[in-house]
Amino acid sequence: MPHSNGNPVDTSQLLKGVLDLAVLAVLADHDSYGYEVLRQLRNSGLDGVGDASVYGTLRRLYQAGALKSYVVPSVEGPYRKYYGLNDRGRSALVQSSKTWGSLTRALEHLLNGRSKANAK
Amino acid sequence: MPNSSQANDVASYATAVRAALAALPDAERESLLEDLEDHLAEVASESDLSLDERLGKPEDYAAELQSAYGAGNDLSSTKRNRPFRERTAALLKTALGNLPYSNMRSFLPELRPGWWVLRAYLAVLFLALVFRDGSNLTPIPNPFTSGGLLQIVATVIAIGISVRLGRRALPANRGWRWAVVGLNVTIALLALPTLASMGTGSNDYSYDYSPDPYLSAASAGYVPGVTNIYPYSRDGKPLKDVLLYDQDGRPVVPDKTDIVIDVPNGADGLPIPNAYPLNERHATGDLIMPPRVALPPSQTSMPTPSPTATPSP
Repeated sequence: MPHSNGNPVDTSQLLKGVLDLAVLAVLADHDSYGYEVLRQLRNSGLDGVGDASVYGTLRRLYQAGALKSYVVPSVEGPYRKYYGLNDRGRSALVQSSKTWGSLTRALEHLLNGRSKANAK
Repeated sequence: MPNSSQANDVASYATAVRAALAALPDAERESLLEDLEDHLAEVASESDLSLDERLGKPEDYAAELQSAYGAGNDLSSTKRNRPFRERTAALLKTALGNLPYSNMRSFLPELRPGWWVLRAYLAVLFLALVFRDGSNLTPIPNPFTSGGLLQIVATVIAIGISVRLGRRALPANRGWRWAVVGLNVTIALLALPTLASMGTGSNDYSYDYSPDPYLSAASAGYVPGVTNIYPYSRDGKPLKDVLLYDQDGRPVVPDKTDIVIDVPNGADGLPIPNAYPLNERHATGDLIMPPRVALPPSQTSMPTPSPTATPSP
């Protein structure tokens, strides 16, 4: 799903960069399956996230060894593949959170500087 | 339970997504799409809308899936390296695909046993250089010396071991594999100075103060230990500028010394190194005096006890 809407800054690209961190954060609370992860992300305000992006991210994090995975039969509907953080995933989350913190501080500093300069 | 039309929708959508990702390597595509059907069924069961309406075209879905799976900041370094490595491999493949190199490449594996033998030979040669007197290193050692015999036996054993190791598959472990490759490269690199030292062994005796190729050690007859020759006539007169040649017609050149020699030049400007006696000088520039010689008795003239470059009395 493209989210360009005329904005030269591609929002989906911005989202893509933080999707790993967002997915890890969702799974840090409790194990979950693909579609529910997507729902939680959207409930948190990340409306632009596509289903395929979340699914692809989950598979990649799993392949990278950051997630554990197991299948749970559901009462109605298909089997659900649950994902959860393992040790590697938890340490990745801690590390990425730090990176994210310094990144947002730097960006806020940049953006605030710009808005103050414009206000003068 | 999902109804049958939903199941059909899921199946056809999943098939279209798989088709769109046909370019991916099989293993990678399967690890990505392992539970695609289950996931799509989950999405489909949420609503009565078709998957096309909810998720967009299968091709777009596949593209988004691939970009989320393959791109972005990754946790695993091996995963991060993979796209670059695959790109490099693809580049190499196209670059080399049209060259005669591709023919040679298919032929290269057949040469591997040759390398197994060669590396064993080179390894023993290197050990021989280290532990034996390196100066008499020869391509094939003399089997009638104890050292040479030992070297030959060691080479045969080393070849046996090397071929046996070579026939085994490369170790699966990454570190070991690099160790094996590194060892092979090390042998090849050590072989260079080893083989080079074979050449320098004979250089100690070579005659190379003249740039003229016809005077090189290979073509000139030289007399080890003799640095100068003082010819006399039968009646005891010291002779000058006598050109000496050996039985093969090669100029006889003296053994190499540190002494400076004034070499006369021929009409063509080339030095004549076999004109005896050689005019030798000390490092200070003084001419070296000829030695005293005892000449056999002669009926016409008295032996000259001290011949010089000046005409005899």
